[in-house]
Amino acid sequence: MDLTVTPGWYMALASVLFVIGGAGLLLRRNALVMFMSVELMLNAVNLTFVAAGRELNVLDGQISVFFVMVVAAAEVVVGLAIIVAVFRRRATASVDELAELKG
Amino acid sequence: MSNIDFLALGPEIAVTAAAVLLLMIEVARKPSARVWGWIAGIGIAAALGLSIAGWVLGRGTDANLYFSDMLALDGFSAFGGIVVFTLTGIGLIAGWGLVTSLRRRGAEFVALVLIAAAGMHLMAASANLIMLFIALEVASISFYVLAGITRNRAADEAALKYFLLGAFASAVFLYGIALVFAATGTLSMAGQESFLGETILLRPGVLLAGIALLIVGLGFKVSAAPFHVWAPDVYQGAPSGVTGFLAAGAKVGGFAALARVLTVPLDAYLDDWAPAVAVVAVASVVVGTLLAIAQDDIKRMLAYSSVAHAGFILLALTAGDAGVEAVWFYVSTYALQVVGAFAVVAAVSGPDTGASPLDSYAGLGKRSPMMAAGLGLMMIAMGGIPMTTGFVGKLGVFRAAIDAGYLWAVVTALVATVAGLFFYLRVIVRMYMDAPGGDAPALEVGRGPAWAVGITSAATIVLGIAPWPLLNMLRDALPF
Repeated sequence: MDLTVTPGWYMALASVLFVIGGAGLLLRRNALVMFMSVELMLNAVNLTFVAAGRELNVLDGQISVFFVMVVAAAEVVVGLAIIVAVFRRRATASVDELAELKG
Repeated sequence: MSNIDFLALGPEIAVTAAAVLLLMIEVARKPSARVWGWIAGIGIAAALGLSIAGWVLGRGTDANLYFSDMLALDGFSAFGGIVVFTLTGIGLIAGWGLVTSLRRRGAEFVALVLIAAAGMHLMAASANLIMLFIALEVASISFYVLAGITRNRAADEAALKYFLLGAFASAVFLYGIALVFAATGTLSMAGQESFLGETILLRPGVLLAGIALLIVGLGFKVSAAPFHVWAPDVYQGAPSGVTGFLAAGAKVGGFAALARVLTVPLDAYLDDWAPAVAVVAVASVVVGTLLAIAQDDIKRMLAYSSVAHAGFILLALTAGDAGVEAVWFYVSTYALQVVGAFAVVAAVSGPDTGASPLDSYAGLGKRSPMMAAGLGLMMIAMGGIPMTTGFVGKLGVFRAAIDAGYLWAVVTALVATVAGLFFYLRVIVRMYMDAPGGDAPALEVGRGPAWAVGITSAATIVLGIAPWPLLNMLRDALPF
């Protein structure tokens, strides 16, 4: 029986993590938790990049991860600032309370 | 052979340098808003000039990839630059009232607009998927901040909704990139094109999943149904002075990226993705038109109408390469219509407020004949009446989709076009037939919105009556 963990398994794990992140974003109602779910999705993509890069023996995958991390950091800065701005005005981070704009 | 050419990156350098200079001068000298305007204006004019230079030198040549295949300098990217920077200039002029109302924070606003413009042009110029992702994020992150710049309740809510759904869309798009990379072994679009053109994948599942995720991710950004849920709230909550720029910019950048990704690297899989694009297109046209009818806020109505317009533009993409000209004509002229329409909204309800109920347009024909005429023209153009760019654009996308064999989609879109006239003409009826509520005085219109409405109206009529110069130009605006 072959018990080696091939890159294919990592890609399968990444797809599971991505789905968990997506489900978290769609089901949870707290803006911070939703934001954490997005980060989980980005990290699942990073795992895919690294696994694919390893399988294909090219460096592009590993290099991409650095760019993704930098972009994710920039997104955190802006995202947390927006969440804090909303929280200071309403004392809640639940997206259910954000229902002034609808129709 | 050196493949470094700073002309390919020139427009980005110009606007980014202007943004950095603006922020540094703001910290050091606290200049008046007029100085911000000059710096931004010079930066945008330089970027526009460099894009035109890129157009003259880059169109119609082959193998024009620079910085290790990261950037393309071709007719596609140069035309994208011309559209993006024209739009940015008009958008800033239309929203200048918002800049002055933000007082010292106005400098940040102007700098963010410039950086978003750099990102939007990079979306048209990227020749590598990771480069495209970074470009998309540069534009999107700037947009999130711009949507919430006034920090009132509506703007906060718009910014948070835009951010959460935008970040979700970016993650989906990125996963699509990762899967396409896993299937092809390269991130370079040229490399993927030659790999997929020469190789028959025995198990294309990973690639097809990647293509689907790319379409979903960019579908969010251009607000195509069923990925449009953020658009109405963001349009309504964002300050009116910047909504036009956000709306037009997201469309231009998103469709430039979508057109290049689908027709260059994934051209060999046209038969697989075109039906999916056709379904999304029809869904957008139907959903956008039906929901726009029910709105009583003009910004929400324009948001749903933009969902329908995203569907019309997607129709042209079902033709692959052959539809790119129609995409460019539609998206560039529609962007001008949107900026013009939101300039009127900013003049009527104030550039720093979010909501703009349809009732406040009653009797606008008497309160401000020029603004009413401008908005009326934009409504007619969006409805697709002849003698405006809207008609020529719709003709182009319908012809491209019929040639590609999607007659059913075109018939549905035609029915939706007729239904759409209802809510476009309703605005005109409101403005000219209804009496203004109470004793509404004549509307004071600033010079900014007046200029923006004037320029966009002139372009909409001139290119609607004589579209041939632009149509001829677009023959050279194809991706490499």
